[in-house]
Amino acid sequence: MNILRRTFIASVALATLTTAPFAASAEGLIAIITPSHDNPFFKAEAVGAEARAKELGYETLILVHDDDPNKQSELFDTAIARGAKAIILDNAGADATVAAVRRAKDAGIPSFLIDREIKESGIAVSQIVSNNYQGAQLGAEEFVRLMGEEGKYAELLGREADTNAGIRSSGYHDIIDQYPDLEMVAQQSANWSQTEAYERMETILQANPEIKGVISGNDTMAMGAWAALEAAGRTDVIVVGFDGSNDVRDSIKAGGIKATVLQPAFRQAQLAVEQADQFLKIGETGQEEKQLMDCILITSENAGQLETFALTQ
Amino acid sequence: MPRYWMALCLLALAACKIVENPEPAAEGSAPAATTDEARMAAKAEELWAPQVLPFVAQNATDIAQLRAALEGGPDAASSFGFRPPGEGSPWNFIAKGEGMVVAEDRTSRAAKLELDTDGDGAGDVTVQLGPVMRGTALRDSLGFLVFTDYRDQIEFAKLGRALNDKAHAALDVPETLTGRRVAFSGPFTIRSRGEAILLTPVTLEVR
Repeated sequence: MNILRRTFIASVALATLTTAPFAASAEGLIAIITPSHDNPFFKAEAVGAEARAKELGYETLILVHDDDPNKQSELFDTAIARGAKAIILDNAGADATVAAVRRAKDAGIPSFLIDREIKESGIAVSQIVSNNYQGAQLGAEEFVRLMGEEGKYAELLGREADTNAGIRSSGYHDIIDQYPDLEMVAQQSANWSQTEAYERMETILQANPEIKGVISGNDTMAMGAWAALEAAGRTDVIVVGFDGSNDVRDSIKAGGIKATVLQPAFRQAQLAVEQADQFLKIGETGQEEKQLMDCILITSENAGQLETFALTQ
Repeated sequence: MPRYWMALCLLALAACKIVENPEPAAEGSAPAATTDEARMAAKAEELWAPQVLPFVAQNATDIAQLRAALEGGPDAASSFGFRPPGEGSPWNFIAKGEGMVVAEDRTSRAAKLELDTDGDGAGDVTVQLGPVMRGTALRDSLGFLVFTDYRDQIEFAKLGRALNDKAHAALDVPETLTGRRVAFSGPFTIRSRGEAILLTPVTLEVR
């Protein structure tokens, strides 16, 4: 976090000191803007994008918007002032981001979006997102199998403003609701947060001690729920997450959380940089703007191959 | 009292005028549907006869030819396949052919037929009957449907679901089929070599 802050302050200082675009490396600067790195998923995106950008000869500027559209807007101004050649973005809101991406486009800077979509096409050059619906169905099929097709369960939802929260829930229910003996006794949002999930899980357990499973919209909430279940001595409860974080991987290997769904976040970020590079060099990516990347089910069988949101062969 | 009601009913009827429902598919402008589900259901309905059926008919490959090509894995059969843009997207294939129904599960919400298409007595193609049909093979094999044209993943997922629902609604099959011969056409998705064929039927006729 300290390094980030320093980078940010340095970038602002540079932007005010130099009017000419900063270009120490041959290919120029790529700005990489994501939510807070407190969630390892977003950190993996930044690390993946940065590594690929450097390999391709670019300088990088790593910034975090903390899911605040106003802050994101300021970061776009910073990227524009710094003369960035391209912006890699995991955005702070499907509606609120449209204006910022358009402002960059008007300034001649193409944006390449990862993980989350915006609600308009034709402004960003690429929108590369995980196939959350397909991934959620994979997770739900495994959840149904683990539950033995019956019993009471709870669902933890992500942040409501985030499209991915809705799509995952929809994918879960398209599978689970086919089984009449699976009964959802609680459905609550924990805003993607581990601490909120811990609190929600405590409350849900008190009201529904007979609960047999928990399906969670992401891994950080699954970790929070699992911690609450452990504290209550309820390690018999089946928990399934979504993202494929190292934390959940370790829990799966230790026999805790049962499964998750890997979003290829690392590769997705690298791919966005590759498309940015191609676009800057030949004016096109050769791909449709919006691209879906399939997710992969992670269980005890393949958890050992998972490292920083990528499967090793 | 009953006479009073009857009179009222007649009066009410007399005040009515028969207005024909506009054909939603005719204008391409579905009535202002509010939810994604309703809009995508209308879209699937609108596309079915003029676009989906001809596309499947024109792009279907004989099942024996497809199965032979798929022995080398999905990439080996790519000349027959359709794949949405995006790294790691699986191949989808549209098959046509005939087979003998060797088994069926008609009690599940995800009802299915097992077809023997090569005459060895064992099922080699699973045909989904629904009402619940898995996957997005239908949406993803229709080359004219592009994710960029849709607002977001939710809308695009609902389109996939609506097309599966439409495929189910279009089926007209007898209650038991085991031992009968059927002709079929429809898509399936293959992610890896050796994966079983799970077909979403677009046409299914009992011979």
